[in-house]
Amino acid sequence: MARTFFSFLPVIATTLGLLLPFRLTAQQPAATQQLQTVEVFGKPAEVYAVGSRVTTVDSSFLSTYAGGTLAEALQARTPAYFKSYGVSGVSSVSFRGTNAAQTAVLWNGLNIALPTLGQSDFSTLPLGSIGDVAVQHGPAGPAYGSGAIGGAVLLSSPDYKGKGLGAMLQQEAGSFGRYYSSGSISYANSSFRAGTSAYVRIAENNFPYKDLSRFGQPERKEEHARQQCYGFTQDLTWRLRPQTQLSLHAWYADADRKLQSAMGSAANQAAQHDQNLRLMSALQHSSRWGKSDIKLAYFKDYLHYGDISTSSEVDVQTYQLQAEQTYTRGSRWSLRGGLNLQHFVADNDGYTGTRTEQRAAAFALFRYNPLQALDLSLNLRHTLVPGYNPLPSPALGFNWKFYNINRHQLSLKGSASGSYRVPTLNDRFWAGAGNPHLRPEQGWSYEGGLRHLLVLGNTLLLETEATAYHMRVDDWIQWAPDDKDRWRPVNLQQVRAMGLELSHRATTTLGEVALTASAAYTYTSSEQVKVYEGRGDLHKQLMYVPLHKALLSTEATYKGWRLLSNLNYTGLRYTTNSETAYLEGFLLLNLALSKKIPIQQNTLWVALRADNVTNQVYQTMAYRAMPLRSYTFSLRFTIP
Amino acid sequence: MSNFNTFRSFFVAASLALGTFAFTSCDKEDDGPIGAYTEEGVFVVDEGVYSTPNGNISFYNKNTKQVQTAVFSKENNNRPLGDVIQNMVIHGDQAFLVANNSNKIEVVNAYTFKSVGVVEGLAMPRYFTAVPNSNKGYVSEWVAFGTAGRVAVIDLKTLTVTKTISLAAMPEQLLYTNGKLYVANSGSNTLSVINTTTDVVEKTIPVAEAPSSLVLDKNNSLWVLSNGVKYTAHNTPGALSKINLTSNTVASTFTFQDKEASSGNLAINGAKNKLYYNYGGKVYQQDITAGTLNTTALINRNFYGLGVDPETGFIYGSVASYTSGSTIYVYKPDGTQITTFTAGIGSNGFVFN
Repeated sequence: MARTFFSFLPVIATTLGLLLPFRLTAQQPAATQQLQTVEVFGKPAEVYAVGSRVTTVDSSFLSTYAGGTLAEALQARTPAYFKSYGVSGVSSVSFRGTNAAQTAVLWNGLNIALPTLGQSDFSTLPLGSIGDVAVQHGPAGPAYGSGAIGGAVLLSSPDYKGKGLGAMLQQEAGSFGRYYSSGSISYANSSFRAGTSAYVRIAENNFPYKDLSRFGQPERKEEHARQQCYGFTQDLTWRLRPQTQLSLHAWYADADRKLQSAMGSAANQAAQHDQNLRLMSALQHSSRWGKSDIKLAYFKDYLHYGDISTSSEVDVQTYQLQAEQTYTRGSRWSLRGGLNLQHFVADNDGYTGTRTEQRAAAFALFRYNPLQALDLSLNLRHTLVPGYNPLPSPALGFNWKFYNINRHQLSLKGSASGSYRVPTLNDRFWAGAGNPHLRPEQGWSYEGGLRHLLVLGNTLLLETEATAYHMRVDDWIQWAPDDKDRWRPVNLQQVRAMGLELSHRATTTLGEVALTASAAYTYTSSEQVKVYEGRGDLHKQLMYVPLHKALLSTEATYKGWRLLSNLNYTGLRYTTNSETAYLEGFLLLNLALSKKIPIQQNTLWVALRADNVTNQVYQTMAYRAMPLRSYTFSLRFTIP
Repeated sequence: MSNFNTFRSFFVAASLALGTFAFTSCDKEDDGPIGAYTEEGVFVVDEGVYSTPNGNISFYNKNTKQVQTAVFSKENNNRPLGDVIQNMVIHGDQAFLVANNSNKIEVVNAYTFKSVGVVEGLAMPRYFTAVPNSNKGYVSEWVAFGTAGRVAVIDLKTLTVTKTISLAAMPEQLLYTNGKLYVANSGSNTLSVINTTTDVVEKTIPVAEAPSSLVLDKNNSLWVLSNGVKYTAHNTPGALSKINLTSNTVASTFTFQDKEASSGNLAINGAKNKLYYNYGGKVYQQDITAGTLNTTALINRNFYGLGVDPETGFIYGSVASYTSGSTIYVYKPDGTQITTFTAGIGSNGFVFN
């Protein structure tokens, strides 16, 4: 019984991504263990996130929707809510009732948010350039720093598996003039691994929609939502010596988009051009003092926005250095200490000249397993930013597997965590909008959960999880006009976000058919409980935070065929902070049918996708029309 | 034959007379207009957020003290009204709602607020006015940023633009009196005078820089409030100008003290002898007969929109919010606060029923 359980472990580990990877690596010989932990970016942080919920977006979804963006993937697979300015406009996240700047996005362990705004536009993060996507629900301040209050999205560079030379070519064509092409080449031997990928996406986006602002809701065609995106990634991993590894990662993304006007507003010819270059080099070395990991990164972000009356440019360069030392004692405890330094150089039309800022943080992450069934973690981070003094943020978590009999496992978990967000460069440097009393945002969160796991050999896997959380975010920063009508950032309010996250997943094999079904329900109540300026809207749900969100997805695999279905319900969202106007809830259904055809050792993958099958009229941002039913046909040829 | 004709014409005349009698007997004194918005109240113009068509109209019932927000959407199947509702004007039994960033004027029945039509084909319309007891309306348009503005002449029966009159940049409020239309050109320092019979600019009156609001007093003098040059390194002070309408020349100018302070929202009371305006974040009252500017503020609060109830003399001021309801403050003519209520997003003006 124990043996079948352990042989099933790799499957569980990849699908669940919780504390199990740590156990898995503890079973294997030291050298391979170190190589594995050395090569996996981001994942080791799950080790120190005991009691928190970390989920991964499964690979079959990512490979089917590879031509899309991170916004689409997370909207379909996680409790997070994304509001986008139309089909391909700016897409920002609300996770656990927080705002777009309160969810951190990290790439290979380093924060890639646009420093001027402090948030990421998820529609400029193409899935084709990303390897794994993991999401930590709730605060992750000590591990990831500023802005990880509602959650953290952890991205990694593409992973090229296999030996020798490999290649991939993908071509997609879809409704409303959408074309996507991507290709990659990789090479791997015992000490060296390299891969390059590139993509081009052109979408006319001339979808028909009902204009809700005109009498009779006439049907019109969107004429101003065309996008042209391209980019590439380059990854190199070189094992210099058995204990030393050097890796280089590059990611360039260019997105040129026309931005949809609101239905009922005059056409303003708005367009945005984003160019993001991300370079990173990492050196990992294992010794008897543990594993050292030094990362050096350079990010260059350029954004140009223009419409009939304005034209503004933002150019930010970020230099980051992160040094970590991890010492692991068998499978008992692991201690990681680290230092993170950031230097920003920003040019913005709204600033008077080029501005710079430095930030430094020191953190310690401790994982301790006092008993086989009990895991504990304790994290602490202290950040120094000239002019701001965020409180040191601690996090304490536990996971107690209190019942492990007869193939049923029950765990009780909980965590208490502090988090923070330092004001953005715009908050600090925008000309004429200075607020010398601006303080960083501080968050305190408590969460508890129950997890049940049932494993019946290879035939059935059932996982159910329930998490309840309560969080307070104080000194929430928002721009507001003063008594002379000048807009400036202020610590406006204290928000209490609390909710429930339920999820259930079942994997089973019936003969030759493999079935997976997962269901999730999220309840999020996010209200203003204190206001420090003006009248406020006490005890009203924040705008664009749905109270209810539910997901139901199924996957059936038979021989080379795979059928994916995704049903997504998003509840009512208010469009003002005083609950006076709202967008109705909506139900979206997406289906994808694919077939893998082996051609000698290579694979041809063919897929047909239908999105918004039920022709639902909906908006994620008020008055920004979204497309009705659309189809996409994809072909992918892979040489392993 | 002639007898028959006489009888027939007599019969027609008698039936006509009886007919009119019958119709007039239905027209009773107490059968006034019917609709939800006929009560004593204040319409609040909520402009909404720029580039989002969430502007609307709120209605504050003075008797019940209840506020109904999003009146247009409520009465028209939840249809959004438009983007930046700059101005609302009641003309006859219709209300004209100017949606600046939707390039249209929605026309509704002033009592039921049900939509009756829309004027389209405009370019950044701002303020509307109509010639009393006629089917002729005018709307000022900015057209585009950095270009000359214009006034469009609208046939209110067909709701179409019949003519456009070119003006200086960014024309704002307009006022009709005695065959002439006066338009404040806020992008320059002039007031345009348009002959409404010929619809041609007759004269241009120079005033202080950036005039925007106009009111007519009881002596038929036109008052103009100018903001002065602002947002530059060489700002100039705003001013209140009094125009003699017989000669169409400036009779007197009251220049403000502080060249950095902004001013706007000129309003007049029902008796048309007291002016109210915003200056430097406060509200001031000015007697039309005063020789100098009143330097004591009446209300110490900065308002986005200002209005005076012609019946009661109460002053209404809005503190605009763009994420939730704006707060409307109501004051007695002497400046003491009576009450507050919450309207919609970005409240910028008031229309009194």
